[in-house]
Amino acid sequence: MTQSDKKLWLVLLFTLLSVTMASAATDEIGGDFTLTDHNNDTFRLSQLQGKLVMLSFGYTYCPDICPTELAKLAVVFDTLKAQSDRLQGLFVSLDPDRDTPAVLSDYVGYFNSGIVGLTGTETAVDEVARQYRVKYQRNHKDGGGYSIDHSANLYLIDRKGALAAVIPYGMPVEHIVDVVRGMLSGDG
Amino acid sequence: MVFRFIQLFLIATILVSTVDADSVNPAIISAPGYGDLAYELPAIGSYQLPPLGEASNGEVLIAKGQTRTLYELFDDKYVLLAFIYSTCSDVNGCPLTSHVFYKIKSAMKRDQVLASRLKLISLSFDPEVDTPSVMELYGNNFRYAGSAGEWQFVTTASQQSLDPILKSYNQVILRETDSSGRTNVGYSHVLRVFLIDPERNIRNIYSVDFLHHDLIINDLKTILQQEQASDQTIKLAMVSQQTSQLSKPGDNKLGYELSSYVTDSQDLELRKGTKADLLSIASNPPLGLPAIPVPADNPLSREKIDLGRKLFYDRRLSLNDTFSCAMCHVPEQGFTSNELAMAVGIEGRSVRRNSPSVYNSAYSNLLFHDGREENLEQQAWGPLLANNEMANPSIGYVLNKVRQIEDYRGLFEEAFDGRGVSMETLGMALASYQRALVSADSPFDRWRYAGDQTALSDSAKRGFEIFTGKAGCVACHSIGERSALFMDDQLHNTGIGYRESMGIFPDKQPVTVAPGITIDIDRAIIDQVGEKQATDVGRYEVTQNPHDRWKYKTPSLRNVALTAPYMHNGSLSTLHEVVDFYDQGGVPNELLDPLIRPLGLSSQEKSDLVDFMQSLTGSNVDTLVADAFDAPVGDVGEGDPSWVHGSEVEVR
Repeated sequence: MTQSDKKLWLVLLFTLLSVTMASAATDEIGGDFTLTDHNNDTFRLSQLQGKLVMLSFGYTYCPDICPTELAKLAVVFDTLKAQSDRLQGLFVSLDPDRDTPAVLSDYVGYFNSGIVGLTGTETAVDEVARQYRVKYQRNHKDGGGYSIDHSANLYLIDRKGALAAVIPYGMPVEHIVDVVRGMLSGDG
Repeated sequence: MVFRFIQLFLIATILVSTVDADSVNPAIISAPGYGDLAYELPAIGSYQLPPLGEASNGEVLIAKGQTRTLYELFDDKYVLLAFIYSTCSDVNGCPLTSHVFYKIKSAMKRDQVLASRLKLISLSFDPEVDTPSVMELYGNNFRYAGSAGEWQFVTTASQQSLDPILKSYNQVILRETDSSGRTNVGYSHVLRVFLIDPERNIRNIYSVDFLHHDLIINDLKTILQQEQASDQTIKLAMVSQQTSQLSKPGDNKLGYELSSYVTDSQDLELRKGTKADLLSIASNPPLGLPAIPVPADNPLSREKIDLGRKLFYDRRLSLNDTFSCAMCHVPEQGFTSNELAMAVGIEGRSVRRNSPSVYNSAYSNLLFHDGREENLEQQAWGPLLANNEMANPSIGYVLNKVRQIEDYRGLFEEAFDGRGVSMETLGMALASYQRALVSADSPFDRWRYAGDQTALSDSAKRGFEIFTGKAGCVACHSIGERSALFMDDQLHNTGIGYRESMGIFPDKQPVTVAPGITIDIDRAIIDQVGEKQATDVGRYEVTQNPHDRWKYKTPSLRNVALTAPYMHNGSLSTLHEVVDFYDQGGVPNELLDPLIRPLGLSSQEKSDLVDFMQSLTGSNVDTLVADAFDAPVGDVGEGDPSWVHGSEVEVR
């Protein structure tokens, strides 16, 4: 290999690297993932194709945001009862240490049977959070234990598995119902 | 504005005390924006939202990643701008903004005005996470739910392009770090939402305790209402300028309540005059006017008109050589003064009534608002001798002074067959000039008396129907078969004088202290410092007949668009206000003219009436004003004796 060949390789290498880095930064949000559901079965998002998916993130020890969000999902199911078979709720735990499938099963059961709780290894959960740009972080409490700060958007995934809309946290349930209804009847 | 701050402070105090009372776990207390307002909003339009500064520009990215400036996104609309980040989880932070914006977006479905005039923009301050595609996913909400109104989500290309925007909107944002110095997931920031007007002025800033959709909509409606009102005044001024290029107020304060106010004052140097043939105008008045009545002993002549014109603009005709007739009867301000409700004479002395316009005074047998003089020849001496107008001490003083002024030498003799300066000839000369200021051939005249159907707008035609029909204005502002004077040469009690005499004023008066800054001042405070209002009982002062109390003469409505402010005391600023006044039936009092009664006009009918009155501006206004600009302005020159002290004066 001549000197100039070496240089060429280096240039190519750098180009490749920078392209990879750039694409990482602009990576599309969303996508398929594999976790464990609250019945301890393997769960792939893609197995839900044909259904409209409402995806939320949280943890069962969550004092305020998560129950509110799940309660809203329950209202959506109740309101759109006739179409509830075309609808799926997902609750991904950001706290796999404490949220075992059994704990999750109890928890989501409080809200609606149309919601599936998901957990997995810390790495697996972290990967999904990263895919959906969910930020979360443990806050250790003085007396032991911890809470988790996390973002609380609601992700709507269409029947083909593509992320179609993100509903910011704080929108009233009427809005969520409107968007879901619109997606069910329209191009979603 | 002061009131608003006090109010906000009170609300804040209440909120703080509420929080204290419930301080078991203050963290879960939701901001007021999530619920119903705990206080009653002030009525729309009852308060001011002065501009708080200019909203800054900046470069942002929209859904597909295209670059836009904030100003482009503002799109000449009212804008509600919030800073958010999509991973924000503080309930009383960004989610509150979303909730309140949602409420406003929902209101847009029901409110067309809101939907078309307001735009919601959420700008992310986390460009790393909130890429254009995330913003697009947010925006998609409204592909599926409710398309009325616009709520746009935007982000920036990088922290570098974001920082100047944050700085200019004073949004201090810190990345939270934990005790170990590790960057936290959140940002700490002070929630602020900006209400921005189409001129890019920030009109209100909402913090967490005040971010509520009802308050924001109330604010917007208030600004829209005030914007509409000022549009009307501006439109009014524009209309008068369309028919008269030269009639421009000096500084009539139109739109003074807006911080964007710019004075209309013209540079004196720009006033270029052209002499007009006033004699032929007066001998053959424009379309819509009858021949002018001329006293047998004072037939019009070119010499008399010229001499009267010279006298009219001569400042030396006052006690201290400073004040001419034209300083209250300003040619380019409708031969009245658009700037003053009530006139101000020599040395700033207050006059208790509004300067009447000189236009078409030839036709009036009642001069002054109380009709105390019967012809222009005699009338001229009133202002010359009034202590608070030109303040000459005596007739002889004026005559002697004019006789001594070099540039009048021979002029009286020439105009009056050898008669010199006398009480009579001076009055005759001034009367001749004023008599020649006849103005008509307005769009109304061309429509009514020349059969030109295109001369008058449809709304003015409708206004004419109301003027002569439902509103009955024509009963006093007469219109004849072949000409119209728009006055009856009579005096009437409309109640304005009664109201002033009885001291019926609102408790508070808004005072605009600088463009865009208006404060409400207690009447009691104004009374403490203000000059005591002179009594004014109108016609009674002339006849001593108690039934004549508060009667004032009907002014002609010709050129009325140019002669604001209105009524004998200038208390109404616009024609809209005048129409409103009569629509309400004036001010009830035992002597109220029976012709004045509540009219029940719709807002369309009122605006048609105003359009009609605006069609009464004569076509020769500019000719008469240009002629006035051409007139010499009599002033003391170098070497002139001081007419006061008899010694030489310095030229000012």
